[in-house]
Amino acid sequence: MIYTILYGFTIGAILYFISIGLSLTFGTMRVINFAHTLTYSLGVYMLVTFVGLLKGSFIPASILAIAVVIPVSYVIERFIIRRLYGESVDYTFIATFAVTLIGVDSIKWIWGVLPQPMSDPLGVYMTLGRFTFPLYRIIIVIVAVVLFFALELFFRKTIVGKIVVAALEDEEGVRCLGVSVTKYFSLVFVLGSALAALGGVLYAPISSIHPYMGLSILLLAFAVVIVGGMGNLRGTFISAFTLGMVMSLTARYWSQGAETMVFIVMAIVLIFKPIDI
Amino acid sequence: METSKREDSDHSAEFDAETKPESFKGREWIDLLVIGGGFLLLVPILSTHRVTDFMIFCIFAMSFDLMYGYMGRLSFGHLLYLGTGAYCCGLFIKYVSGNPWLAIFVGIVSAAMLGMLLGPIIVRTTGACFALINLAFNQVGFFLVLSPLKTITNGEDGFGVHASSFAFFNPASKASMYFFVFFCLLLVFYILKRITFSPFGIMIRSIKEDENRVRFLGYNTYFHKWVTFALAAAIAGLAGTLTALNYNYVNPNVMDVHSNVGVVFACLIGGAGTLYGAIVGSLAYMLISNFLPIYIQRWEMFLGITMLLIIFRFRKGIWGYVVEYLEKRRQLREPIKEIA
Repeated sequence: MIYTILYGFTIGAILYFISIGLSLTFGTMRVINFAHTLTYSLGVYMLVTFVGLLKGSFIPASILAIAVVIPVSYVIERFIIRRLYGESVDYTFIATFAVTLIGVDSIKWIWGVLPQPMSDPLGVYMTLGRFTFPLYRIIIVIVAVVLFFALELFFRKTIVGKIVVAALEDEEGVRCLGVSVTKYFSLVFVLGSALAALGGVLYAPISSIHPYMGLSILLLAFAVVIVGGMGNLRGTFISAFTLGMVMSLTARYWSQGAETMVFIVMAIVLIFKPIDI
Repeated sequence: METSKREDSDHSAEFDAETKPESFKGREWIDLLVIGGGFLLLVPILSTHRVTDFMIFCIFAMSFDLMYGYMGRLSFGHLLYLGTGAYCCGLFIKYVSGNPWLAIFVGIVSAAMLGMLLGPIIVRTTGACFALINLAFNQVGFFLVLSPLKTITNGEDGFGVHASSFAFFNPASKASMYFFVFFCLLLVFYILKRITFSPFGIMIRSIKEDENRVRFLGYNTYFHKWVTFALAAAIAGLAGTLTALNYNYVNPNVMDVHSNVGVVFACLIGGAGTLYGAIVGSLAYMLISNFLPIYIQRWEMFLGITMLLIIFRFRKGIWGYVVEYLEKRRQLREPIKEIA
């Protein structure tokens, strides 16, 4: 049972990393960013490449991978999403989906379709009484919690964070104050994408790596964002861990039903709390 | 429904300008002739089996267009209903009886039932949320047939569908299948044409324009959206049953989440919001997806780039530009007529 809880926390942490970007981009730009799949998988594939190049040193490789994702996500924001501000949500959805198609096809082109191998970079187990935990999973959870507080601090204390929070509330109002909102939006977008890449990088060693890996996790992240409320950072945190727990608890009793259960929870939430976009 | 004529004035004027009901009156037969003739002409160019496939996709694209083009709700999980139709039809033939008519009926009814069941949840949402919740349900359906229902659906491998011949319709014969799908296509086109030009159709188009306004006028928009959703699901179910009968085979790929992009692309390239657009677009998409991979390996990338181009430059789609061109021609000709 204690393993189930740990597993739930790990999944929750990964979902949290990926959902923040979605939640933020939606809250500020009113854009459903399907290209998140791409930044996530790109981060993972870059990690695989850099780990190969750097002969197995995980942390520099992951930093480099995230560094590669940042300019790519800026390009996506600058040339695709910025052109679609204020348009119907459908168009941005289709456009970002098209970006994902292009990106996934490029990944298939460069790295091939076959799943890539990747092992636990630590391989250290922690013994606590009768139980042994893989240390790596615990580190993931700790990183998520630290990130949550760091983001809270960022959005409450720094001026950039305050502007973003204000734009989440009322974009027009912030614009009226003479703040160039677009600049902050692209910052938010890049931040979200980098966090998605971080999630991918951390999740890669304990999951399978293939070109379509982003899609299933992105669906889960969308469920997290819908349950937690679009543009609501704390809600995203809570719902990510709740849904992660739902997944691992379901998986314990009915292993194939884990992902389905998340969508059922999402449907129930939508029945009681419909979202108007 | 006669009250819908009493819409507020600028809106009804807008719709009259857009739909021109008087110029379409009695022209359904011409439309049917044009489409029928077109698909008959395609047979010698492509193979019969391929054209049947194209027509099934056209039926599916029209049901999608009813929701996206007319009601303005983009769904990224419409294949769920196609898959439901295909699976229910296939399972009926496998376990109950080989009668193709009954199987088609069962397929349509089950897809419509699923649409009615999920509809109340789904139609509450709009915009991207609508797309996502459909996507999620599609994923759930895909997963359900893939593993929990493995004992009856045979999981990833799928199962064969061998319907017997009954009352002029023999799914095993290619020609019979072709003509059956042909008439299904014409029937669906006719029904949708009637529906979209009826007061109900005007209502769902008003919902696309501005749902709040329609609600202020006292209409129950949820009910209309729900009916449209169930209708689209039923037609998608029909397309599913035809797919199952055409391939004699069902596997989870019929409701693969990734394939949804195809129908969205078809509607965009053809021009969303017109039935002709859906048909032209699905023809274009089927031609691309059938023949392009032979020449270019990276056809998904091509699809993505084309989608971006449509979104940024050519939003009206092929049919939209054809209509615009015809309109220009007409306007050029009219003053000459007056002088004469």
